[in-house]
Amino acid sequence: MQDPVVLAACMPGCESLDLIGKDEYRMKMKMAMASLSGAFDGKVSITEQNPPNSFRLIVEGSGKLGFMKGEGLLHFSASGDGNTPGGDVHSNVAYEGDVQVGGTIAAVGQRLIDATAKMMIKKFFEKLASLPAAS
Amino acid sequence: MIPQQFEYSAPKSLDEALSLMADGGKLLSGGMSLIPMMKLRLAAPDRLVDLGRIKELSYVREQGGALHIGAMTTHHDVETAPSVRAKCPLLAETAGFIGDVQVRNMGTMGGSVAHNDPSADYPAALQALEAKILLKSATSERVVTADDFFVDTFTTALEPGEMVREVIVPVEDSSTGTNYQKVLQPASGFAIVGIAVRLRKAGGKIAMARIGVTGLSNRAYRATAAEKALEGTSGSDAEIQAASALVIQGIDANSDLHASADYRKHLATVYAFRAIKAALGRTA
Amino acid sequence: MATTITKTETVIGKRIRRKEDPRLITGTATYVEDIQMPGMHYAVVVRSPHAAAKIKSIDTSAAAAIPGVALILTGKDIQKVAALPCGASLPGLRVPDHKVLAQDRVYYVGHAVAVVVATDRYVAKDAAEAVEVEYDVQQAVADPEKALAPGAPAVHPQWPDNTAFTFHQEGGDIEKAFTEADIIVKERIVSQRLVPSPMETRGVVALWHAAEKSLTLYTSTQVPHMVRSLIAQMLGLDENRVRVVAPEVGGAFGCKLNLYAEEALMSFVAMKLGKPIKWIETRRENFLTTIHGRGHVDYYELSAKKDGTITGIKVKIIQDLGAYHQLLTPAIPTLSVLMLPGLYRAKTMCADIVGVFTNCVPTDAYRGAGRPEATHGIERMVDILAAELKMDPAEIRLKNFIRNDEFPFPTATGLIYDTGDYAAPLRKALEIVDYPKLRQQQTEARAQGKFMGIGISTYGEICAFGPSPATPAGGWESATVKIEPSGTVTVMTGVSPHGQGEETTFSQITADELGVPMDDILVQHGDTSIVQYGIGTFGSRATAVGGPALYFAIQELKTKIKKFGAMLLESEEVSYTGGKCVCNKTGNSVSLKEIAGAAYRAMKLPPNTEPGLVATYFWEPPNFTFPFGAHVMVTEIDPETGAIAIKRYVAIDDCGNILNPLIVDGQVHGGVAQGLGQALWEQAVYDDNGQLVTGEFMDYTMPRAHMMPWIESGHTITPTPVNPLGVKGVGEAGTIGASPAAVNSVVDALSTLGVRHIDMPMTPEKIWKLINARKA
Repeated sequence: MQDPVVLAACMPGCESLDLIGKDEYRMKMKMAMASLSGAFDGKVSITEQNPPNSFRLIVEGSGKLGFMKGEGLLHFSASGDGNTPGGDVHSNVAYEGDVQVGGTIAAVGQRLIDATAKMMIKKFFEKLASLPAAS
Repeated sequence: MIPQQFEYSAPKSLDEALSLMADGGKLLSGGMSLIPMMKLRLAAPDRLVDLGRIKELSYVREQGGALHIGAMTTHHDVETAPSVRAKCPLLAETAGFIGDVQVRNMGTMGGSVAHNDPSADYPAALQALEAKILLKSATSERVVTADDFFVDTFTTALEPGEMVREVIVPVEDSSTGTNYQKVLQPASGFAIVGIAVRLRKAGGKIAMARIGVTGLSNRAYRATAAEKALEGTSGSDAEIQAASALVIQGIDANSDLHASADYRKHLATVYAFRAIKAALGRTA
Repeated sequence: MATTITKTETVIGKRIRRKEDPRLITGTATYVEDIQMPGMHYAVVVRSPHAAAKIKSIDTSAAAAIPGVALILTGKDIQKVAALPCGASLPGLRVPDHKVLAQDRVYYVGHAVAVVVATDRYVAKDAAEAVEVEYDVQQAVADPEKALAPGAPAVHPQWPDNTAFTFHQEGGDIEKAFTEADIIVKERIVSQRLVPSPMETRGVVALWHAAEKSLTLYTSTQVPHMVRSLIAQMLGLDENRVRVVAPEVGGAFGCKLNLYAEEALMSFVAMKLGKPIKWIETRRENFLTTIHGRGHVDYYELSAKKDGTITGIKVKIIQDLGAYHQLLTPAIPTLSVLMLPGLYRAKTMCADIVGVFTNCVPTDAYRGAGRPEATHGIERMVDILAAELKMDPAEIRLKNFIRNDEFPFPTATGLIYDTGDYAAPLRKALEIVDYPKLRQQQTEARAQGKFMGIGISTYGEICAFGPSPATPAGGWESATVKIEPSGTVTVMTGVSPHGQGEETTFSQITADELGVPMDDILVQHGDTSIVQYGIGTFGSRATAVGGPALYFAIQELKTKIKKFGAMLLESEEVSYTGGKCVCNKTGNSVSLKEIAGAAYRAMKLPPNTEPGLVATYFWEPPNFTFPFGAHVMVTEIDPETGAIAIKRYVAIDDCGNILNPLIVDGQVHGGVAQGLGQALWEQAVYDDNGQLVTGEFMDYTMPRAHMMPWIESGHTITPTPVNPLGVKGVGEAGTIGASPAAVNSVVDALSTLGVRHIDMPMTPEKIWKLINARKA
């Protein structure tokens, strides 16, 4: 679950991911929401690695619509108890982060940046959760 | 303000529109959201299918205890149609709050619903009305509830090739009291918070309460906890106050330049109180 | 001498509908965008999405390959075009080299990087998107106070302190005033950045006549002659071979009192390509690249006696200049300093300005230009002082006003106030609202836990810009009056009206002076090849400086008319009245039409008189004018939501004589709307990365008709001795008076909670937070 490639692949709209340096990937993504659509060319990097507890994920991209930079610190923890009947061990992921946008989207999307970012993050975690458990 | 090149067609029938859409056309209804996005090149559809000339999509019909409102019915028509005003006053009242006169003259019910802007006005009313939405594709037709339809920010239950055909709302009995209250964002006219309320009383108690909320979070929702708290009460100020506080229960509120999450939540409780009071005053 | 004179009805002072309106409201007026020419090409500017970046590379090959693309220029291609001029000179001013296209760096979002020209605008836009610019993004700074902090990113690397200039002015013994004061009040007061937002964005059509080596430039400007002189300099052309035309201009509010990169760039493109070039600014570009207004952070201090007498005024102004100097950028805050004493007698002041570079679009003149900022500050401070001393805000003002017998009044800032009766508009406004009763209502409202506020502002202005020694480019104005052979009259004015209605008011002046019908008069302006050199329209000057120029030109012409009249009437003693020359002895008369015919036919001429009836006058004003007024705003605040309801708005202005009350009221109403816009809604917000996040009308709240209160406007009339018409100018008055009235009103409403200042815009959330914080 902490494999950067897996995480990056969970990013909504991610079309391709190529390693370009240590913990750095080139990413092409397509964003489509409502009538808005556009391709972003960008970079994914992973820093502040503190396995197995946390790391920072930075996603940057730019395209005709403008550019965006999202970064989040992901914290992992386990909860539950495998010994209790019917109980599972859950991996919990908590995040704190920040999204910056620029260009045309920044000017017209103020009202929606927060809502959109939340939706993207939700999709990300939904996809992450749908992956087969690492253990 | 110069869009990219696109193909344009203006079919005269629904079937023609559906087949053009099946071929990859993007539907254009009132254009109040899509056209500005195209002018800024944030949206760049290759093919536009303009529904504006399809007369059969603009109507308000009463059928089986419900009002059926065609997708291309303008906000102005919803606001002013005598049948909507008399039989579903909440929807007419809500339509009157959308945008400005120009937007209401151009914008349509179907376009707004399909767009599902998280700050749009209709979704609050449609949630409170437990409306149904008729979706149609070239090959099929299905009905979904408003709650199932409004999935997330700009995301609906529409599948590729499907369009909003009509919106179905109940014919209210005359004892129902309704109200829509809105705090508008003064630049865009969208709702910072919008609260739609439907109440029925029986034997001096609130027998039914439906509360739809828009603008607050990622999607319009029904404030069921507040509804339950209200039902069975006599609707005293204290009871309304207590119920209003529940409107924001479990909600991750949006935050932007115009209103922080805390302020939005606060406004939601204040305006829920006001809308419930007003709706209660309209019950018979 | 028993002559009966039929006098035509005078039109000055009447509510006459504007002559220019039919073409404006029927959509038949010609704006820049309406101009079409054979072979026209269209330009789109490629702009930086970053506020601070080095340009690593620009690849235009893909764009150039698109069919229909005629020309692409980048920074390296415009070396022959001189830098944009800064018209303001201040000692030690640092002036960045402001090229029409970015060179190796970009300094704000929207900075022009390249221009793409094609046979149609859609192709041009597609090609502009295909230009690949590689940026090395640098850290930006968008807030002027942060820019001054140690270690802040340098907007221009050569000036790490981000300081373009400092400016100091003082009068009287400020130390003494503050040492001996009974009370000193201090406050930080912000006048936020605003986007001027005229209905018509900027736009240019440039046409090069290769054979004549001459350039025609149609541009949406307030100052066509100034643009001509500057464009000629920038492009190395002869001034007499440059024609600048300001066609119909759809609003400006100061933002078109400028010379913009695109005006020079499109002219250069036209010369290079030999085709007519059209560039029309999009609304998005207008937000990003047309100058913004205001942008002050001010630290005020007021010293006073126990009885409320103000003894000294101190201010430190931090002016957000943006990344460059546009035409007058650094000069604007100096106008704030001039306006600092307001209407008050205090002769001791001290002002310091720091002009700060930020990674934002430049600020410059916007309706009031420096004076609203100062008025807002001083009017807030007077209220704060009144509150501290528990004095009534009206009383403290009346106590400190310059008295009527003190005019002409030399101010601490070096101005000479011409004339005034400052108490008159305040008393009138207070009477209209029934002030004592209103205060009583407030007491009752407070007893019921309601927040009701009464806000008073009294303001002075510096208008009719201005005496030439006090302005950067000459402050006179010109007029030519031609009586055509048929007797109709053509007026050519050097001002450049774009909504102020001078086609009407100048017709009124001419109609009364010459006794001809309004319909026989044509007022021309805005075309440098038709109109003699002029300065333009800004700073409430068009009627107050251009009007007198017209008046004097007519007087000269009347002398000549009378010579022809005397000749035709064979009389020594004639007078000119009601459109006729009348012999004072016989009562015989000859009409202007007959005189005009004779003057052009020239069968016979009066002694020492040339044929024709034309007069030109350049009028140099001896002083500014100093209009004044008082606004009162009554508000009620929703304690649950912080929403502000305007219950009443009274605006009493004294702009001297009024030529057309309809136009004056319109100016006041529009001005109040803009002032309330700043007070309640408008703000240009840049985030920490220099992105303009209120970059469209979806997020930038322009006031709309339904958001406006009913404005009860009225006047007192104190004619100025500065010009023969007694007019002072009214274009900026409403804006200047409104924002302090609004804030004073809301602060007054919340004063029971201990609130003493609120910065603009006073959004409901801000108010709600104040209420909440105080309740807790």
